[in-house]
Amino acid sequence: MRDPAAVLLSRFAVEVTLAAVTAAIGAVVTIGALEFGTGWGDGGPQPGYFPFYIGIIVMLASGGVLVEAFANRERLRATAFLRREQGMRIAAFFGPMVGFVLVASLLGLYVALIVYLTATMVVQGHYRLPRALAVSVGSAVIFYLIFEVWFRVPLLKGPLEALLRIH
Amino acid sequence: MENFGNLMDGFRIAASGYHVVIMVAGVLLGILVGVLPGLGAPNGVSLLLPLTFTMDPVSAIILLTSMYWGALFGGSTTSILFNIPGEPSSVATTFDGYPMARDGRATHALTLAFLSAGTGALFGVAVITGLSGWVTQFALKFSSPEYFAVYLLVFASFVGMGNASPFKTVVSMMLGFAVATIGVDTISGNVRLTYGIPDLVKGISFLVAVIGLFGLGELLQTMEEGLRFEGIHARISPREVLKTALTLPRHWVTLLRSALVGCWMGITPGGPTAASFMSYGLAKRFSRRKEGFGKGEPDGVVAPETADHAAGTCAILPMLALGIPGSATAAVMMGGLMIWGLTPGPMLFIERPDFVWSTIASMYLGNVIAVILVLATVPMFAAILRIPFSIIGPMIVVVCFVGAYTVSGARLDLWFALAFGVVGYLLKKLDYPIAPMVLAMILGDKTEDAFRQSMLMSKGSMSVFYSNPLVGTITTLAILLLLWPLLSRALQAARKRPAAGGNPAR
Repeated sequence: MRDPAAVLLSRFAVEVTLAAVTAAIGAVVTIGALEFGTGWGDGGPQPGYFPFYIGIIVMLASGGVLVEAFANRERLRATAFLRREQGMRIAAFFGPMVGFVLVASLLGLYVALIVYLTATMVVQGHYRLPRALAVSVGSAVIFYLIFEVWFRVPLLKGPLEALLRIH
Repeated sequence: MENFGNLMDGFRIAASGYHVVIMVAGVLLGILVGVLPGLGAPNGVSLLLPLTFTMDPVSAIILLTSMYWGALFGGSTTSILFNIPGEPSSVATTFDGYPMARDGRATHALTLAFLSAGTGALFGVAVITGLSGWVTQFALKFSSPEYFAVYLLVFASFVGMGNASPFKTVVSMMLGFAVATIGVDTISGNVRLTYGIPDLVKGISFLVAVIGLFGLGELLQTMEEGLRFEGIHARISPREVLKTALTLPRHWVTLLRSALVGCWMGITPGGPTAASFMSYGLAKRFSRRKEGFGKGEPDGVVAPETADHAAGTCAILPMLALGIPGSATAAVMMGGLMIWGLTPGPMLFIERPDFVWSTIASMYLGNVIAVILVLATVPMFAAILRIPFSIIGPMIVVVCFVGAYTVSGARLDLWFALAFGVVGYLLKKLDYPIAPMVLAMILGDKTEDAFRQSMLMSKGSMSVFYSNPLVGTITTLAILLLLWPLLSRALQAARKRPAAGGNPAR
């Protein structure tokens, strides 16, 4: 795995990118704070005072991180942030996770968890479909019993539950 | 003696049948959370918190603290049997715990870990019991400037005492503050930093952030490393447990030293993780069998475990008495207190002594129950880890998102949790500390309010932070800690002596 061709991202690249992103967030916060007074009124700081300087400190500290990254660039360039194998694992785990959130926000948590658990078990775990379905539907029922029945906390439901009249 | 009477009242409430059942349930859930990778104590408590909104605060805090103890114990189990720390604070336990288990002394290592952890925890609770009355009297002198000075001290200590680059600590902390300012400003009533998005008016919940940062973020990291469990089978026989228990007094020096380190790090915001590493380091330095460390030295298990649990329990004291949490998990619990309508701080001891003292009493009971339960259930929980990860992993993902949704029943929170998951993964891999960010999200509003109220009191003059010896001392201490990275560098350069400024905690 020491093969440099297998390195997808160097630590240096990610350090610099993240510092740039945090600096940008700092700028957004500072600009957002300008909507209110950022000065010092009679009774101390005005509402925009804190966010304004928080934003500025974020930008300055991000600058500090950037300087540190460039000072150590030789070492950081040689350090791998993500190798090909790791990247594949992350993609295989993170992709379905995004899919789960997408389906959940459209069709509700119950449908999403059944689809997600079944799919990951069949595709990644190489289980047979009936078994995967049994596990995922069983989990959905357990979630329903724990949250809706026992603790009376409703979970996000979609059109399917409305159709089946499950509240 | 007043403390003792209060404590007895607390025991009467905590030892009721209902509360003992809650403790057992909390401990079991906690062990589960501690054993599973990616789910740790902070986000285990976050996941459970929304379910306690309708509970009585006393029962709720008992459930959450019991879960915390369980999680600490669960973390040690996986460290010893699988060489995989279930919790960051049990990393140091793997150094000697796993070698012991590999050499066929699994039961010895586990029993030693649990018993010394229990000892550390009980020591911690005893310290809390002793200090509570005193802290309250001290804290009654507090008004806004003192509170702000203490918050400043907490945040400064992250910059001054952390191992990470000070710039990274500041970025992480300030981003947390920025998230805390989103929504309605409690003093002026203005709606800040929503950029016209109506869902942001109520702010971003720290619970969603914790679930993302600690839960999903850690899970992503675990997946990336390609998890494989190669556990050692352990069967716990009562005779073996008894034999090990009898060897415990031999470790009394390590126990005492580690418990003290743990208490100190728990009360100051060093936290259990720092405590366990520091205690392991000290045990090794003072040991007569230095070369045995890392190869299965019992002292190497006793030291981190004792300190970890002593710190975990002691972290509850500053949370209750001052509203300043000593660990990430305590921070989440404090958020819970505020949601239940209680105000952490000295007035809590006066207005709700029943709550405070039954919490403390439940800590004694909860830890004893936890030691017994964890010894009894080790084989069962070790078996859970043998379920293929293609089932467990997605299951944990679902639990995290369901937990994020139950915080306030908002669809958008699912996306926030996902985003915080990515942020947590990136920050962790790049050695940004996450605890200051979470603490800033929880304490951000309170810190800002304390500052602005101080300014209202003093008509905008900063001199209020030096208006009496108490606030002056705290402020000076905070500023010194904040400048520590600069100071220590300057000292080193001046003296040209390496490591001259090391170890500010001592």
